[in-house]
This record gives sequence, structure tokens and C-alpha cells, in this order.
Amino acid sequence: MTMTTRREAMALISGALASTTLGGRAFAQGAPKKGGTLRISAPANPSSLDPATGGAGSDHAFLFTMYDTLTEWEFDTLKPKPGLAESWKFTDPTTLVLNIRSGVSFHDGTPLDAEAVKFNLDRNRGDAKSNIKADLLSVASVEVTGPQQVTLKLKTPDTALPGILSDRAGMMVSPTALKAAEGGVVTRKPVGAGAYAFVSWADGEKIVVKRNAKYWKPDRPYPDGIEFSIIPELTTGARSVSAGQNDLIYQLPPRQKAIIERASSVKVVHGPTLYVFQIFLNWSRPPFDNIKVRQALNFAIDRESFVKGALAGLAEPAYMNLPKSHWAYDAEVAKLYPYDPDKARKLLAEAGFKEGTPIEIGGYTDQDSVQREEILIEQLRKAGINVKFANGTVAEASAAFFGAEKKGAGLLSAWTGRPDPSLTYSLMFTKDAYYNGGRAPVPPELEAAIKESRASEDIEVRRKAFSTVQRLVMENAFVVPLAFQFELVAMNKKVQGYRPNLLGKPKYDDVWLEG
Amino acid sequence: MARRSPVKVIGSRLVQALPVILLATFMVFALLKLVPGDIAVTLAGDNATDARITEIRQLYGLDRPFLVQYGAWLGHVVQGDLSQSLLTGEKVADSIGRAFPNTLLIVVIALVLALVTGIPMGVIAAIKPNGWIDKLISMIASLGVAVPGFWLAMILVAEFSLKLNWLPATGAKSFSVSPIDALRHALLPGIAIAAYGMAEVARQLRGALLEVLSSQYVRTLHAKGLSMSRILWQHGLKNVGVNLLTIISLLVNRMLAATVVIEAVFAIPGLGSLIVRGAIQRDFPIVQGVVFTMVVVVIAVNLITDLLCAAVDPRIEQ
Repeated sequence: MTMTTRREAMALISGALASTTLGGRAFAQGAPKKGGTLRISAPANPSSLDPATGGAGSDHAFLFTMYDTLTEWEFDTLKPKPGLAESWKFTDPTTLVLNIRSGVSFHDGTPLDAEAVKFNLDRNRGDAKSNIKADLLSVASVEVTGPQQVTLKLKTPDTALPGILSDRAGMMVSPTALKAAEGGVVTRKPVGAGAYAFVSWADGEKIVVKRNAKYWKPDRPYPDGIEFSIIPELTTGARSVSAGQNDLIYQLPPRQKAIIERASSVKVVHGPTLYVFQIFLNWSRPPFDNIKVRQALNFAIDRESFVKGALAGLAEPAYMNLPKSHWAYDAEVAKLYPYDPDKARKLLAEAGFKEGTPIEIGGYTDQDSVQREEILIEQLRKAGINVKFANGTVAEASAAFFGAEKKGAGLLSAWTGRPDPSLTYSLMFTKDAYYNGGRAPVPPELEAAIKESRASEDIEVRRKAFSTVQRLVMENAFVVPLAFQFELVAMNKKVQGYRPNLLGKPKYDDVWLEG
Repeated sequence: MARRSPVKVIGSRLVQALPVILLATFMVFALLKLVPGDIAVTLAGDNATDARITEIRQLYGLDRPFLVQYGAWLGHVVQGDLSQSLLTGEKVADSIGRAFPNTLLIVVIALVLALVTGIPMGVIAAIKPNGWIDKLISMIASLGVAVPGFWLAMILVAEFSLKLNWLPATGAKSFSVSPIDALRHALLPGIAIAAYGMAEVARQLRGALLEVLSSQYVRTLHAKGLSMSRILWQHGLKNVGVNLLTIISLLVNRMLAATVVIEAVFAIPGLGSLIVRGAIQRDFPIVQGVVFTMVVVVIAVNLITDLLCAAVDPRIEQ
């Protein structure tokens, strides 16, 4: 795939146009300048600063500053674009050639060449400690075919790889550091080739990174460094920004917007993300083994009202697992479940489901989750569905539903997006997937369509395959998508150039500080 | 009975403390293992599979029997090693070493504030019981007990940080690096916790002092013509010293517990935040380490209190 096709150029332009129409965007004023320390309030301590061994989706906000990825994505559409790999090409469906940018080195001076890339990819797909083996399952071997070129031989065609290499699997760690590290992991001493080099990490307290003076992107980064203060209580984090102790906070809940906007020194930006609130269903046993009950649930929810009531309007109603702005969105699938409580009642009657029979669904104990539950209880009640929520902490309730216990008929939770949509579907809607709570079978044509979506490089072919995937998932009503949460970032007015992205995991590429 | 030497007392108390430490850490360990939720799932990451979770359990020894896991932890502790976070690999001793001073500073500030406000209030109230000052003090004390610390904390932040901009709203600074800055950060959380302590000191001291002042020997002192202030300072307060020491030791233990919530409100990386993070992520070495530290602190505070009480009042048998 060369990166200068006309279609690509068009996408870029339309992406740029789209961004101007989105509300609340921040635009850089004046010329960017270097200097200053960006102080960020971060909601969670990272699970690890080694991309291969970490676990949490919230880690990326730190990892992206220290590690550059083989591919990157367009902020607005998540289409892959060159990163450390300046180009890539499928020479045949099972061979992917990556051309690595030359002249780039890791923070410790180790050159980032084909050998380094091979070392990383082999570690990511083979090391016992690696958590991302599943991401690279399709790779049979990685060969060095030039000083700056690696060739991936694939077991099966997998065009999701360029997207996957923009995430953990494509984050390059210094082989020198890995070989020297105890246990072969750089959890606490990360060495990458990113815009910032690691300085220190005090658990639950602070992470400090400083400018990589030899960074390959021209003029980047602008700030001298970033200081992350880890503040799990988001209300407190927001206060630290309005009081001027921090410059920026991300992942704010919508209810915080009105509060933080009272501070005259603060501005708020937001944009759509792939983060979708949804009810996971266990379709291996009653009542959700009956397709009509699952469909009734989808008809019974007024998503527009849900967005207004639960998310202060800062979200997009979700009718499938991809939002409108995503390249693989299918408008036809979105029409499958208009709000129709009467239809829901009818389906329940056909299913022989007795009105008012209690259904137990798991949920979380925090204030925002409980509010979402209250709205859903009320909406579903109107369709004769009596839902009871059993709440626990995230770790507790999730493990109870997805793990061996198989507690509850469903779980009100959320799905964070993946750079390539094929992962989203294979991780939830295949028989043995962990996020298929009941581990119940899915129609063979769905599994086939998910495979199909990774077989071709042609974006139109992929788009069609994802249409089929989404249609099958939603026709079978294996999930109840509710709303795509907007990324909500509040920052001091002196912070310039911050742009939200569709993945919803912040990157600070163009950020600079005024004054 | 002959009095034992303080060294012997301390020695025997330390021996008695061992079962307490064992029991407390064992119970917390058992609780963590009983509640659903498993760090293996967190460790396995976002794209977890059943196979990967099983593999992680083996890799980290989480599939071993419960008692074996506790035994392993205990084995490390005996060798002076609190082991390390399962998630981030940081040494638990390092985490605690960094967090403990932050918590300690808040508790010390809270205690000092509670005493300098609570003691005068208690004394004044006891001198003229049921007068209007006494009633006013009783009212303030009731408020202090009733107002939740986290609420008071948020009001303080809104007023003194966001509006007046006098004190920082969040975070903590190291006392050894900059004492002034550290105190500025710890003052608001200290006040939030002190409110309850002030009320408790005032009420308890008033009660104890009233009892002393209404006793027969005080009547005799009055009859001898001693002034009220001499009776109060020379005889009254001396006799409530033991009560006061007991109140202080109970307060310290209570305040340590209160920091769990207050540290969250102020984003202070102290022991409270540490144990909350550990518990939520099921990172049991962290939880065990903090519980161990807390138990040791509580035992030490109680021991010191008992020794001081015996020094103040020789009638107390050690």
C-alpha cells in the first residue's frame, strides 16, 4: 500500500473539513513555540510502561509519549498512516513488507533498524510475558530483508495488521534496554523512540518525561517535558486544573463540563470516540438465549434520550459498534433498531417471555454508572422489561460476568475501541472470545465475515465485509450498544494545539504552551 | 505487685503484637481472595483470552492454593521484604516509604489542630457547665462530629483554593524538600480531619473534667480558698491527663482511617490512596503491605499511650 493514492488524499481533505465542523475544537493560535512543562492530571496509574506486558487501555496516554509506533492513524478517522514505518505494502495477501524510516534511534542511542523491529515483533508475539500475542496471531515469521526493511510472512491474510501496528504491538522498545533488563521487561525503565524520554515514575503519584532532543519529527515536541500527576478522583483532577496546578485533564465525565467551564482560565474540547457504552449479553442461557428477547431489549431503548439524560448530550447514539465518522460505518445497519417500545412488547410476547419477569444485569458502583442504570431501568420498564442491576467494582463485576462464575444475564459496561475494527468484533463475537460472556456459538457466517474483513487490502472490500459483520451482530442482537462517549478534555487556555482523536486515547503531538 | 521495668513491658507487648499482625494480615488476605475479581484479568490486558488468563495465573503463581500464597508473602515479610506490586513491579516498601510521610503529616497537623482548639473548648465548657458558652461549645462540637470530613474538605477547597487561591487544591509535597510547601499542601486536609478530632477532644475533656471538678477533694480545695484557676491547672488537668492520652491515641487511629477518604478528595498520594488502588486492582502485595504498616502503627501508638498513662498515673498497672 502506497500512501499517496487519490483516495487517501481525499480522505485526508474530508477529514480536515469534518474537523472544522465539529464543535468545541481547539485551534492553535499564533506560531507554536518550544518550552515549558505540560502538567497533566491523569486518571489512572499505568499497569506497566512496557507496551508488551501492560494491560490497561488507560496506559496509552503515557505510552504514546515515550514510544513511537510502526504505523500511526489519522486523528479523525483512524485510517493507518506512516509512522516509524515510512511505507508498507502487501506484496501478496500473506506477505507484508514494512520499510523502516532511517536515521531514527532509541532514547539510549540504539539505532532503530530492521533488526530492532524484528526483535520487538518477535518478542510481542512469542514472549511468555507478552500480553499482545493474540494481536499478532496471524504472523508466521518476521524476516529482515534489508537494513531498514522487515517482511512479515502471514499464516492467513490479515489486512488488519497496519492498524494493529499503530497500537501496543507496533510500539518499538530499545532492544538494548530489553536485553539488559531484569526478566526482559522494561516495566519501570521504558526506553522507546518517542517524542519524550522517560525520567521517573512514582506509582500512583507522578510520571515525568522529558523532550527527546533527537526526535525524528521536525520541530516536535514543543514542550520541554510532561509531568503526569495521577489523580484517580476525576472531580479532584478537574479542580487541580481550574486551580491552575495542572494544565490539562482528559477523560472527564460529561457532568463535569458545566462545572469546569465556570473557571475562566479553562477551555474544554471534545470529539467523538470509539468508546461505546453497551450492555454485554450472555446468549448461552435464558432469557437472552432467545433472539427475540435480545431484539426487544434493543427496541426498548431510547438512545437519543439516553444521550441527553445520562451523558449531557456529549455523546453519539450507538446502533452498532462503530460511530458515524468511522470509515467502516454502515448507515443501513444503524436503522435496525429505532426506539419502539410497542415492538419490544410484541417480540417479548412472541418469545413467551412473561412481562415483568426480573432480569439481573451486572453494573458498576460509581456515580455515573448508577445514573446510567436508573435511566435504563425506567426506559425498559415502559416496554415491560424489569431489569435489576447488581453492582460491583469494575474488576469484581467484570470478572463475575466474563469469568468462570457467569453471573447475571448481562453487564452494563463499555467497549474501548481498537485501531482496526476487526479486533473489536473478533474479541466479542467469536465463540471462545473472553468478552463473549457465555462462550456461546455465533452463526458460522459471522465468523466467516470477520475473517473476510481481514482478507483484503481494498478498503471498499473491507467496508463491505464489516457491513456484513455489523449486520449479523445486530440482527442477532448479541449486544445492546447505547452511546459513543465523546472525549472530553479540559485545559488551561495557554495550552494550544490539542486535538481529540477517534480512538479516545490522547496524543499530544502538536501541543505547545503559550507564554 | 512490684512494677516491671519498661523494657520488659515493651518486650512482652511486642510478643503480644505478633498474633495481632498475623491475624490482621491473614484476614485481609482472605477477604481479598474471597471477593470476586482477579488481578490475573487485569494483568492479561484489554485483549484477554481465557488461555492467556490461565497462563498469567501460572506465571504469577496465582493458581497456587490460598494458604501457600499467604505463606509465600509471609516468608518474604519475615526476611524484611514486603515484596512488590504484581502490576507495576514497584517495591511495596518503596511505595509505602513515599506514601507514609504524606499521611503522617496530615495526621500530625490534624492532631495538633484538634488539641489546640479542643482542649480550651473542653476546659471553658467545664468551668461553667450549662452556661451559654457551654451550650455554644456543645453545639460546635456536635457539628464537628456530625459534619462528614469529605464534605468539609470540598467546602474548604472551594473557598480557600478555588475562590481565594490561598492554598493548593490537590497534591502533596515532600517535607524534607520544602517544609513550607509541604505544610501548605497538608493544611486543608489536616483541617478537614481535625474538625472531628476537635469535637471529640472538647466533649470528652468536658465530661472528664466535670467529674473531677465535682469530686469531694475539689470541694475541699475550694473550701481551703484556692482560686479556680489554681484548682484547674494544678489539680483538675493533672487528673484528666490519662483520659486525654487515651483520647489522643484513639484519635490517631481514627484519623489514620479517615485519610483514606480525605486523600482521595485532595489527590494526596498517601497510605489511604495506596490501599484503595491496591484493593481496586486486587494487587494484594500492596494491600497487605499497607495493612501491615497500619497495624504496626496502631500497636505502637497504643503501646506508647499505655506507657505514658502509667507514667502520668502510677496507679495504672502495666
